Amino acid sequence: MKSHREPASVPLSATITGLRQLSTDTSLFSIRLDDGGAARRFTFAPGQFIQLSVPAGGEVPISLASPPTDNGAIELCVRHIGHVTSMLHELNVGSRLGVRGPYGNGFPVIAWQGKNILLLAGGLGIAPLRSLLYFLLQHRAEYGDLTLMYGAREPSALLFKDEMTELSSRRDMQLFLTVDFATDEPPEGLICHTGLLPSLLKGVNFVTENTIAALCGPPALYRCVIDELQSFGFTPDSIFLSLERRMKCGVGLCCHCAVGELFCCTDGPVFRYSDIRDIKGVL
Amino acid sequence: MAKELLHYSSLPLFLKELATYGDVHGPVMTDDNVPSFGRIDSPAKLRLDARRTLIPPKKYLMPPRDAVLTYSPDRGYRQPAISERKIILFGLHPCDLAGISYLDKVFTAIEPDPLYHERRRNLILIGLSCEPDDYCFCGDVGTSESSLFDLFLHCTDEGYRLAVGSPLGEQIISGISMLLSECKPLAYSRQACTIERKILDAAACDETFPDSPLWDDFAARCLSCGACSLCCPTCYCFDVREYGCLGGVTAERLREWDNCLFADHGMIAGGINFRKNRRERLIYRYQHKYLGFGPVRGIVACVGCGRCRLVCPVGIDLLNFFREGLHEKPS
Repeated sequence: MKSHREPASVPLSATITGLRQLSTDTSLFSIRLDDGGAARRFTFAPGQFIQLSVPAGGEVPISLASPPTDNGAIELCVRHIGHVTSMLHELNVGSRLGVRGPYGNGFPVIAWQGKNILLLAGGLGIAPLRSLLYFLLQHRAEYGDLTLMYGAREPSALLFKDEMTELSSRRDMQLFLTVDFATDEPPEGLICHTGLLPSLLKGVNFVTENTIAALCGPPALYRCVIDELQSFGFTPDSIFLSLERRMKCGVGLCCHCAVGELFCCTDGPVFRYSDIRDIKGVL
Repeated sequence: MAKELLHYSSLPLFLKELATYGDVHGPVMTDDNVPSFGRIDSPAKLRLDARRTLIPPKKYLMPPRDAVLTYSPDRGYRQPAISERKIILFGLHPCDLAGISYLDKVFTAIEPDPLYHERRRNLILIGLSCEPDDYCFCGDVGTSESSLFDLFLHCTDEGYRLAVGSPLGEQIISGISMLLSECKPLAYSRQACTIERKILDAAACDETFPDSPLWDDFAARCLSCGACSLCCPTCYCFDVREYGCLGGVTAERLREWDNCLFADHGMIAGGINFRKNRRERLIYRYQHKYLGFGPVRGIVACVGCGRCRLVCPVGIDLLNFFREGLHEKPS
C-alpha cells in the first residue's frame, strides 16, 4: 500500500475482485484500486486504456471494457496471448496488480449527442465497445438509434453471451451477431448469423445520415468493413476506429506506436477515419 | 576588453575547480580505443582531440538499462532514488548540446518524466567548440540552443574563450577569475552549411521522398543492426521489461534502449507487425528524425553529429535524400 502520492509514472496498487471466463482464452477481470482516494479520482471515457502491471511479469496496454464508474471499479477483457497476459490468467481473485492511466483520447461521446450510433466489433474488439455501449445505454435519451454488430470467429469465441442475450431483448437498441464459421450450435437464445461482418452489414437497412460508425477489431476487419460502410454512404469523417499498437509507455515517449505523425497512445487510440486514411500502412 | 580568456596551460586547474562541483566527465579513450564519455580523474585522461564519442551523452540522461521501478508485495511499485551527485559533462560539442536540448523537449513535452528530470537537474554542461569533419555538419539545425550550456569554451589561437550560459556558469567563472586574462571580443562567424538549408526546406513541407529509389537501395542493404539509432544523440525510444527475482516475489522494471530498425519494434500482441520490412522501418526512422512525432512534430532531430553515417556498416546515409536535389523548385 502506498502511503504517499507517487508520480503518475508509478502504477497504483489494485486488486482483482472478480473473474469471469468468457471463452477458452479470454476472461473478464474486475479490478478495484486499493487506495480510496485514487479510486474516486479514477475517471475515464469509453475507448481509453490503462497500462496494467502484473508484478514480475510486466506491463501491457488494455482497453477499459466497462463504463465509467465513480468508485474506481473497472473491468478488463483480456485474451491470454503474450507473456504478461499469460501471467495475468494465472492469477485469482485477491491478487495484486498495478494500474497506470487512464490514457488515450476515448470516443468523442459528447460530440456524438443527437446522432445514431452503429457499433461494429470484431473478436476482442468488443472490449472497448462494451464500455461505449453501456455508456450510451446509461445516457440513452441523448442519442438516436443504437445498433451493435458483433462478429466472432465461431460460436464458442463469442464473448459476453449472457449479456448479449439480455441486450437482444432490449427495445432501445438493435443487436446483430455473426460468426465466421458455424462450427457448433449457436449460443442458446441468440440469433446468430454466419459470415463476416461486412456480409452482416449488407443484410441490414441503415439510415447513414446523422449516423456515426465506431469500429474496433483486428486490422483485416477494418479494411473490409470500412469499404462496406462507405458503399452504404458513410462518409470518412463519420467513421471512428480504435487502433491497436505497441504502446509501451502510454505517454507519448517510447515511440513504438506512431501512426504517421501521430501517437496512438496520446493522439488515439480512437481516430476519425478521415484523419488517418492517407497514412500508409495504418490499417 | 573582457576577462574571459583561459590559457590552454590552465586547463588542469580549471578541471580541478570543476571537480569541486561534482564528478567531472568528458571524452576519454576506452581500453579498447573507443572515444567515450567517461570519468576524468586526471587531466591527462581527457581527449579533447576526439571529434566525437561513439555513444553520445544521452547515456547520462537515459542509461541503456535503467531501473525505473521496483516491486515488492508490501510496498507495491516504487520509483528508485536517483543519485543526487552532480556530474559535470566537459567538452560537449554544439551537436551534443543540441542533442540534450532535443531530449529536454521530448521528456517534458506531454508529461515530465521524473527520472529524466532528476538526472538532468544534476548535470552541469560545459560546451567546447569544434571543427566539422567529413561526416558532420554544423548549422542551425538543432545547434542553435546556445543558452543550454552552463559554460562554453571557444578554442582560439590564444586559449579558450569562455561564454557563460547560466548563473551556475557565472559562479564557476568567479571561482577561477585568477586564471582568466583579458582579451578582445571574439568575432563569431557562422559556418555556411548547404545541407542544413535543404533539410530545413524538406522538413518544412513534410517531404518524405516517396518516389526516391534510395528507399529500395537502403532497404536492400540495411542489416537492421540498429547502430545508427544506438549512437544517435536524439534517439530515445525505449522498451520496458520487467524481471522477476528468482524467488518470484519482488521484481525490477527496466527501461532499455530500443531500436526502430529492429524487426519487432512495430509488432503487437498476436504477431501482427505494422513495420514488417526494412523499408518500412527506415521510413519510420526518417519520419522520426526529420519530421518528428507527436508533440515534437516539426522539430528536426538531426543535430549533424555524423555518428550514424560513420558507424553504418553498409554505408546508409539518410542525408543522401537531401543531397539528391529532389527539392529544387522549378524556375
